[in-house]
Amino acid sequence: MAEEGELAIEADGLVRTFGHLRALDGLSLAVRPGEILGLVGPNGAGKTTFIRTLAGLLRPTGGRVRVLGRTPGPQTAVDVGYMTQSAALYEDLPVLDNVVFFGRLFGLGGGEARARAAELLALVDLKGKERVPVRSLSGGMRQLTNLACAMVHRPRLLLLDEPTVGIDPVLRLRLWEHFAELNAAGTTILVTTHVMEEAERCHRVALIGAGRTIAVGTPAELRSAAGVSSIEEAYLVYWNRRSEGGAP
Amino acid sequence: MSPSRIAAIALRILKQFRHDPRTIALIVIVPLLVMALVGYLIGDSGKEPLPVAVVNLDAGAGGPAGPVVLGDEIVRGLSADRAIAVRAARSAEAATERVRTGEVAGAVILPADLTRLALAGETAPIRVVVGGTDPNLQGPVLAAAARAVQRLTQRASAAIGFRAPPLAIRPVPLEGGIDLSPLDYDAPILLTFFAFFLTFLLTSVSFLRERSSGTLERLMASPASRLDVLLGYLLGFIGFAVAQALLILGYATWVLDVRIAGSIWLVLLVLVILLIGVVNLGISLSFYARNELQVVQFIPLVLIPQVFLGGLIWPVQTLWPPLRWLSQLFPLTHSTVALRDVMVGGEGFGDIAGRVLALLTFSVAMVAVGVLALRKQRA
Repeated sequence: MAEEGELAIEADGLVRTFGHLRALDGLSLAVRPGEILGLVGPNGAGKTTFIRTLAGLLRPTGGRVRVLGRTPGPQTAVDVGYMTQSAALYEDLPVLDNVVFFGRLFGLGGGEARARAAELLALVDLKGKERVPVRSLSGGMRQLTNLACAMVHRPRLLLLDEPTVGIDPVLRLRLWEHFAELNAAGTTILVTTHVMEEAERCHRVALIGAGRTIAVGTPAELRSAAGVSSIEEAYLVYWNRRSEGGAP
Repeated sequence: MSPSRIAAIALRILKQFRHDPRTIALIVIVPLLVMALVGYLIGDSGKEPLPVAVVNLDAGAGGPAGPVVLGDEIVRGLSADRAIAVRAARSAEAATERVRTGEVAGAVILPADLTRLALAGETAPIRVVVGGTDPNLQGPVLAAAARAVQRLTQRASAAIGFRAPPLAIRPVPLEGGIDLSPLDYDAPILLTFFAFFLTFLLTSVSFLRERSSGTLERLMASPASRLDVLLGYLLGFIGFAVAQALLILGYATWVLDVRIAGSIWLVLLVLVILLIGVVNLGISLSFYARNELQVVQFIPLVLIPQVFLGGLIWPVQTLWPPLRWLSQLFPLTHSTVALRDVMVGGEGFGDIAGRVLALLTFSVAMVAVGVLALRKQRA
């Protein structure tokens, strides 16, 4: 993990409202370049809103956010890969065409995009499925294609929104192997998850609740500071402490 | 059969609608809009009279009770008719020219020997010059002439002591014009309507799918700008839209033998400019629909006012002025006139330049609206 240089993600008192709902309510978080940071929190905690803000899809209502040193938007998009929660793909197009399309969209040339797509599909074990339309793929294969589309332009930062939801344990392990490989090659990863084993695989974990960061640390730090044996239990401890008014 | 299950299903449908106020609103608004427009257009009130040139050359003749000029009676009848506004003309040539330029919807020409022939018991021909390129104008002009003659017939015995004079109305097409079949007249309407309708359906549903599948979110998270996305869509769709229009045009010309008096390139130009706007209209409106059903419900909302008020069925000239101004905002109004002028009237670019400019304005405005609508996706 690179410790110096600019932060990959820097959020400071981030607020985003939808009508009366405060989806982000002063969220602050710093993600260092080269780390895998897991966002853990219940449904409605603000994880997806945060990721969509980082992807430049939502403008913050208040606070400050920087992605790779810049305000999120089309200019940061070149360096950011965004894997949506459900596989957002063109169902009628073959797997390869989907990946090539997103490569072209991110500025790769035709030949380059095809070569990169072939390389990625081999990496995510979809070799031989290049010509298969997405609609005939299983849920797991769709997620793999989805991942390939998010990585096609070699982003420096990958935003993964519950990438393993609805995926069998074997495939889940394989996806995490891919994440580890990408990370070893220098990609910073921000991943949201409900699966505690996955949280354990992250370098650091941020516990999110009610649109704020409740606690940040390595999985071991979080567990020991809470005096419990799992991140799930740690979450409850930190949440209750926060409700009682004491920040961790 | 289980009444409770049937009731459960019916109740669920009602509940679903209750949670979908937009669909309910469309269910209420669309039929009311249609009925209001139909009621207005078919009814007699609130319409502007059609300008009709009238030439009274009738020299009159001596009748049983003194000199008679039947032509004056007919002119009085025409003047009393609320559906038309009489514009006196000096000669048949001048009146015909005013029809040709579109200044008047038609011309009624009462010949010099009208009264003489009628009193002699011979058929006196009243020429009604119709023409121009809008078939919707011919009916009202001929009907007004017929009403004037009928009025004369009713008054004939009292006014001139003479029973029904044998007057005949003879529609005369514009000089130099060819006898056109109804299909020749209707082809521009059908072409522009179906090109609009099919393209709107194609783009709005496709773009809705792009949104609901989440791929639009992915596009907006890429370095592509809103204009990039919109122009990419436009370029992708315009080919299909134009191909569809060409199919309609080709079938009309080769299979149905519809005549195109002017340049086919001008027809294409009008269609392409119209369809650029329609593609973007489809994209923009699909942002206000949550599902395919709502997109389909938008179709009558978008099309019916244009079809009813745009001169496709009823002439624009007779509309209540505010509605006439409104009709000038509709792309179908301009494309219908432009295509009619080219396909039926054989006119050139200079004659339809104003309409082309109006369509171009619509298309550019729709691109701008599309860019604004995409902002909803990245906000």
